[in-house]
Amino acid sequence: MSPATSTPTGTGSEPGRRQAAHKNGPGSKRGRVQQRWLPWAFLAPTIVGMGIFTLLPIVASIALAFFRWDIISAPTFVGFDNFAEVVQDPTVRVSFLNTIVFVVVAVALQLGLALGLAIMVQEKLPAWLRVFFRSAFFFPLILSAASVSIFMRYLFNEQFGVVNWLLSIVGIPAVPWLTTPTGSAAVVILVYVWQNFGFSFLLFIGGLASIPVETYEAASIDGATGWRKHWFVTLPLLSPTTLVASVMAIINALQVFDQPYVLTRGGPGDSTRTAVMVIFESAFQRLEFGQASAIGVILTLIIMAITAAQFRLSKRFVFYQ
Amino acid sequence: MSGTNGALREFTRRSALTALGAGIVGVTAASWPRLTGADIPGRGDNSLSIAIMGTAADAAARQKVIDAFAKVHPEIKVKVQAIQAVDWKDFFTKILTMVAAGTPPDVVYVATEGAQLFAEKLAHPLDEYLRRDADHMREYFEDVHPSLVEAFMYKGSLFQLPIDWNAANMYYNTTALSKAGLERPSDNWTHTDFRSTLAAMKKANPKDFTPYYWTNRLFGGVVPWLYANDTSFLKETKSPGGEWLWDGFYANDPSRSLRSGGYQWLEPNADDPRVFESFDYLRGLVKDGLGVRPEEGGGSALIGLFASNRIGTTPAGGYWVQGLHEAGMTENDFDVQFFPKWRTQRHQFGTAGYAIMKTAKDKDAAWEWVKFSSSREAMQIVFPTPNTTPARRSMVNEQLYAGKGPRNWKVFYDTLDRFPTTGPIPAPPQQAAVETALMKNVSLAVSGDERQLKDALTSMQRDLELALRRQP
Repeated sequence: MSPATSTPTGTGSEPGRRQAAHKNGPGSKRGRVQQRWLPWAFLAPTIVGMGIFTLLPIVASIALAFFRWDIISAPTFVGFDNFAEVVQDPTVRVSFLNTIVFVVVAVALQLGLALGLAIMVQEKLPAWLRVFFRSAFFFPLILSAASVSIFMRYLFNEQFGVVNWLLSIVGIPAVPWLTTPTGSAAVVILVYVWQNFGFSFLLFIGGLASIPVETYEAASIDGATGWRKHWFVTLPLLSPTTLVASVMAIINALQVFDQPYVLTRGGPGDSTRTAVMVIFESAFQRLEFGQASAIGVILTLIIMAITAAQFRLSKRFVFYQ
Repeated sequence: MSGTNGALREFTRRSALTALGAGIVGVTAASWPRLTGADIPGRGDNSLSIAIMGTAADAAARQKVIDAFAKVHPEIKVKVQAIQAVDWKDFFTKILTMVAAGTPPDVVYVATEGAQLFAEKLAHPLDEYLRRDADHMREYFEDVHPSLVEAFMYKGSLFQLPIDWNAANMYYNTTALSKAGLERPSDNWTHTDFRSTLAAMKKANPKDFTPYYWTNRLFGGVVPWLYANDTSFLKETKSPGGEWLWDGFYANDPSRSLRSGGYQWLEPNADDPRVFESFDYLRGLVKDGLGVRPEEGGGSALIGLFASNRIGTTPAGGYWVQGLHEAGMTENDFDVQFFPKWRTQRHQFGTAGYAIMKTAKDKDAAWEWVKFSSSREAMQIVFPTPNTTPARRSMVNEQLYAGKGPRNWKVFYDTLDRFPTTGPIPAPPQQAAVETALMKNVSLAVSGDERQLKDALTSMQRDLELALRRQP
């Protein structure tokens, strides 16, 4: 590496001296001021935006968890009452349990499907077909979740839906998709996974592309074939991507709302009611904004705990080249 | 050379940045009215803002009424704001967020579902205005059934004037009925007659035919069956008061003695044996394939399915007629009958009208709008087609249903006249929580065995207790 390129601030090289001599160069007073403040000036809009639209609502939400407030009347301080009520509310408990089950099943399916398809597309298909599938799998992600869910409601209608009509052709009787706890949970997970696996798929495609071909060649020379190559080469070397994909998938799944809300409104019973749905219902339907905030705070703590645990565990399972 | 290039480059960059900055400032300045919402018609000019549930097209459709109003009250400027929503609950949520944002409308079109929420927290009573303009309003009340008015009474005060309404009557497909070899059901058919009708329809029609279709919601779901069985999932009581209205406008009405200061729903009633009985009846229909397991939602696909002869019967109000007509049904293809009788033949209805917000800038102007909207002139402009049932009895006439049906359109208003105890949708101020508690348990209650039904009703009772725990 040449000195000129290794000293961009120009303390010893010719170009550096030229810059220092310039009245606005980094060596000048104005340059030093610019160097110190310019990054902050560029960051300022983002910092201000995050402060107003992210940090402030978080602080306000935490504060609101200690008040009873219905938007219309003045808020009343109630201490930890909201948290106590929330913890005792069976609907909230069930919704958190549903969310955990949903996360486990949906994320496993999402990552499994994304990884499987990424390997398939990357390995076995011609380039033009690869491009097609990348677009096709990513496409559901850009659709509105609410629109997709409305459409899916028609598809999965027990009496008049296309899915049951297709099943009837092969002699399978109508399945009560959206009117039984198991059926509705299955549809919600199915729709969610279909719509979201494209993002993990793209991450895996990127991850696979970064694995050196030489590593596979070396594995082949050592006698590895087919699944063994994937097991001993692809999966370990893809583990950093898997970590990122799983962290993002889990955080997203913990906040699932649109699909169960539009497809089933949380029913039948509480079978598809999720934590964020309960927050929405508490705040905007029951006008209990304090309770909604309390549930939000609890959910945030859970998300933080799970993410921290993931990163901690990742030390054991993530391998870097 | 390089220095020159550098200076040139710097100059060019600086110029570009200046031009960009100037451009941003220019564009911002040019779009300032849009950014601040100042270009919204009527904003900031003290217009009376009126919120309705609907699309921009619905707002535009009200322009004729606004024009007619402007002829009577040129001094009052009006703007109608249509708010799109999935259902009334969603609409009220949006109104509440407008209140929270400090931009509440002055007048809101509110249905029974939100009447008590608004009366308790947001709306201004109409009592003083009705007393003041009693002579003018007498004609309106003579034309409107007192049951509709009572639905908007809350703790002795009246908060809205009914403009349109709908009862849960029973629509039936005449083709499916005749295939089953049946005649029009009698006015006082019972729930057992209804079941026999469904069974006959199922037998006579194709495999994919559904004899009874119903959706899981507060109107037209399980509630009409509860009312017919002389019960409800909430204990219904009435407030004292309201004599000023009943004696002033309905003194000679035969149902005067039934009237009150408004409905109250203070306690859950899901553990009532009759509630169990009603749910068990519906569970039987589902189990025997006579009725569907109810899904959540408003049943928007229903009109098409009914019009294609795939559904035999469904509970709905007069709002369905125009839709069926547009879907290609003639007046001979469908008809309507009273809801089947059980212990009573009490029906369920919902109504809607304008509420003046407590925060309205000019309540007198708002009252003039409410008063004008209840006039025959305004209502005839708003309801040119049978896409709802007008609150004025005189407007529910042959002319409205001509060429569209149903043949027995008189059923709509007769529901109130024949069954004066017919009651509104049970909607206390905590309506949203109550509705959630009902809906979330209905599907479970009617989709399994008797044990599942009992568990669902126990769960509903508990959820309702939670929903109603804080009384206003």
